[in-house]
Amino acid sequence: MRLQRRTFLKLSVAGAASAAVAMPPPAAAQDVTDAERLGVLVDTTKCIGCRACEAACSEVNHLPEPAEAGDRAVLDTDRTPTTTAYTVVRHAGTNASGEDRFVKRQCMHCVEPACASACLVRALEKTAQGPVRYNADRCLGCRYCMVACPFGVPQFEYEKAVPYVKKCSFCIERQAQGLEPACTSICPTGALTFGNRNALIEEAKTRIYQNPDRYVHHIYGEHEVGGTSWMYITDVRFDQLGLPGGLGTAPAAGYAQDALSGVPVVMTVGPALLMGLYRFASRRDEVAGDRVAAEDHHV
Amino acid sequence: MSDTALTVPTTGSSWFTEKILMGATPREYARSLVTPFNLFAAVVLLAGAVAIIYRFIYGLGAVTNLSQVNAWGIWKGLNVITGVALGAGGYTLAAAVYILGLKEYRPVVRIGVLAGFLGYSFAVVGLLIDIGQPWRIPYPLVYSFGVTSVLFEVAWCMCLYLTVLILEFSPAVYEWLGWRGIRERTLHLSVGFVAFGVILSSMHQPSLGALFLMAPSKLHPLWYSQYLPTMFFVSSAVSGLTMVIAVSTLARWGMRDAFSPSLLARLPHLSLGLGRGAALLLFAYLFLKLQALIDGHHIDLLATGWGAWYLLEVIGFVAAPCLLMAYGSHHARLGLVRVAAFWALAGIILNRMNVSVIALNWNVADRYYPSTGEWLIAGALLMVAIVAFRWVCYRMPVLFDHPEFEAH
Amino acid sequence: METHGILTLYSTKTIEYVVAISYLLLFIPFWRYVSAGRQNALAATRPARSLTTTMTEWFELAKDAAYHPGHAWAKLDGTTAALVGADDFAQKLVGPIHQIELPGVGTEVHQGSPAWRLHVDGKVVDMVSPVTGVVTAVNREAIDQPAVVKSDPYHQGWLLKVEGPRVAPTARGLLTGDLARRWIQQATDALRLRMTPDLGLALQDGGVPVDGLAAAIDQERWDEIAREHLLS
Repeated sequence: MRLQRRTFLKLSVAGAASAAVAMPPPAAAQDVTDAERLGVLVDTTKCIGCRACEAACSEVNHLPEPAEAGDRAVLDTDRTPTTTAYTVVRHAGTNASGEDRFVKRQCMHCVEPACASACLVRALEKTAQGPVRYNADRCLGCRYCMVACPFGVPQFEYEKAVPYVKKCSFCIERQAQGLEPACTSICPTGALTFGNRNALIEEAKTRIYQNPDRYVHHIYGEHEVGGTSWMYITDVRFDQLGLPGGLGTAPAAGYAQDALSGVPVVMTVGPALLMGLYRFASRRDEVAGDRVAAEDHHV
Repeated sequence: MSDTALTVPTTGSSWFTEKILMGATPREYARSLVTPFNLFAAVVLLAGAVAIIYRFIYGLGAVTNLSQVNAWGIWKGLNVITGVALGAGGYTLAAAVYILGLKEYRPVVRIGVLAGFLGYSFAVVGLLIDIGQPWRIPYPLVYSFGVTSVLFEVAWCMCLYLTVLILEFSPAVYEWLGWRGIRERTLHLSVGFVAFGVILSSMHQPSLGALFLMAPSKLHPLWYSQYLPTMFFVSSAVSGLTMVIAVSTLARWGMRDAFSPSLLARLPHLSLGLGRGAALLLFAYLFLKLQALIDGHHIDLLATGWGAWYLLEVIGFVAAPCLLMAYGSHHARLGLVRVAAFWALAGIILNRMNVSVIALNWNVADRYYPSTGEWLIAGALLMVAIVAFRWVCYRMPVLFDHPEFEAH
Repeated sequence: METHGILTLYSTKTIEYVVAISYLLLFIPFWRYVSAGRQNALAATRPARSLTTTMTEWFELAKDAAYHPGHAWAKLDGTTAALVGADDFAQKLVGPIHQIELPGVGTEVHQGSPAWRLHVDGKVVDMVSPVTGVVTAVNREAIDQPAVVKSDPYHQGWLLKVEGPRVAPTARGLLTGDLARRWIQQATDALRLRMTPDLGLALQDGGVPVDGLAAAIDQERWDEIAREHLLS
């Protein structure tokens, strides 16, 4: 009995110790100051649907040419990014004045990304500058990132024998060389503006302030799910652009942290509680055993 | 010899003949395998094997109906998430016997531990088939640690808990092999294993629910709740107790000669006892569901189609088995308790499937339905677990006490 | 938080408290209702016998009795007297006893020698005495109603009271405790080897064949089987 208790204690101490070590603070992005973060402002009032961004993206990433490159009709299909097209442009109806509107979709590179928080091997990681990087050398294809991402960004190569997750990388390599992402650098109308995220928010607010009747008074991505690097301003409803509503402002990365915070508590309180129950139960048995032994003597 | 399963070995028989073939000649054994159930099992296993080979040659896209929108299918939902819930018999029974000191349930502990071991093992197998690069499955354990991820904690806990289950079950294996010394040494540590197992289970059972906290925009509001982890934990305890009732009932029906008469004689009393525990836990679970409903601020959704489905789950598959279990327990009616146990298990399976597959992505046009290949593989994994359970119970002291060893 | 529909946060929390308190209040009667099953179960499954009897698989052994391999039991009463009877195995083996022939008071009985006779189904089977001594009392009830040996072989179904100086020494050689259990186990296994599978299943369900186990094994020559086990 004593031997078991010693082992029991040993295990519980080990558990408590590992609990103390196990939980470093979440996403490194919080350590980076706001001031350094980069982002993109997408002004859909300026987008003409030329799809040059798609062509630039596919070239820089060595992907096949965008579907039906010259065919405008494809814009009317319900397109979303795929494993071979990290960004797509869609026709998104018209505005109040009958002008066509287009929207470019790609990874939003959230400030506190759900995918990075969800990834059990840190294959998806938030970098200090802004891009959410995919480390293909770590990914095991569990697809939890796809469940967690509220925008449906990660695309999985279901057809391959060795499948990976594919998504826009925010041209992280180009950025490392001081260049702009391929799509923003090629955009002919200035619909895409790359720069410091705070500065872009100011720019967006300025545009809205200067044209209050034109724009919807909201910068999509400023606060949604804790803020995204890619932000949108437009003169139509955001759900018309296909941007999901009702996402709230709490960082997606934090949704499970309350539940996870219970883990160290269980690991520390658990052994003590179980130990107490065990002692209580054995003591009860001891007492009962004494009583039975006493009865036996009378038989 | 106290069990009917071990026949008297003829002199000079090999270890293989005695231990594996249970004293029969290979021909006799092969002939004894031809039963209707075994033929059905063989078909299921063969079909599943073909589907698994197909999956690894042609990829996930060729075999499953998974898509970019629906990334998790029934292999995750049924084999992994539900399988782990159904494997909760290990920690519940072991805790009852070795920590709470309810020694009268000792005869059925090994049923719970074995069912738990098989549940978790085949959850891992399901994962290996489901993930894109199964050879990388050790990565969260040894290579790259995504500590912010609930799935990371689930992976670690499941790996450790599977080890604990193996260690908890090992005395039965040692008795079968006759390895007395190592059995003694293992038994010394058993309370430690059990406690560690309870702690691990109390972390990863709720975490399976916490996985879906990351998808508030995708899981239907009636099922999405901050209480998901707590509800998964309580229902896993229900699952543990009812699984032992259900498994022992099925074993009694399908392999009665593997039981020792003393266990058969005690089974009604033990099943009733487990039923009482299950009734109380179901009661608590029911109220948790009610709290979650109120806390979720979506009572108005009960009037929708999904609301009706939710009410069916809660009223038809939680409240109803709870009441039946209570009634059966009160009147000590074993038949009713058994029916209630199966019913409660169906409810837990339904709940796990709702949260992980059915009510997930409830509002997209591209709804997910499992493909034939997915069903075949899911079914085959379940069948392997059943066949393995049966194989073990005929040879190792799970349903009987080994005559040469003191019962632990 | 987003809009909540019909409930505001205050009323939600109030309702949650009310639900939690109701749960606690309801839990106690629910617990008592369910736990009542424990008493009901005990009443239903435990046979109404004294606490000294234990189940060893199919055959009951009395804890306070010592056993002769011929399936007779003896309970010492002091050092020179013992109560003697037939065990559960014996009565299940032979089946419904039509008549029991007991030796008269004053007869000498010897350990291992035939002491009384069972008339079953037209045949006669002897049982041997577990101790050596002189018969000082016989159980009239067992003679008048042989079925009492079936229903209560260790108490009301006693057969003889045997006294004498040789009672205690001969009783010392009898089987008790673990040895008795081991012996009954072997007897059970020996029986089992002769049994058909469905008979085994019936026994595991608690159902003993009406005509006795020996007759269920071999209708014609059940008495030979019985005599083998009863050592007569």
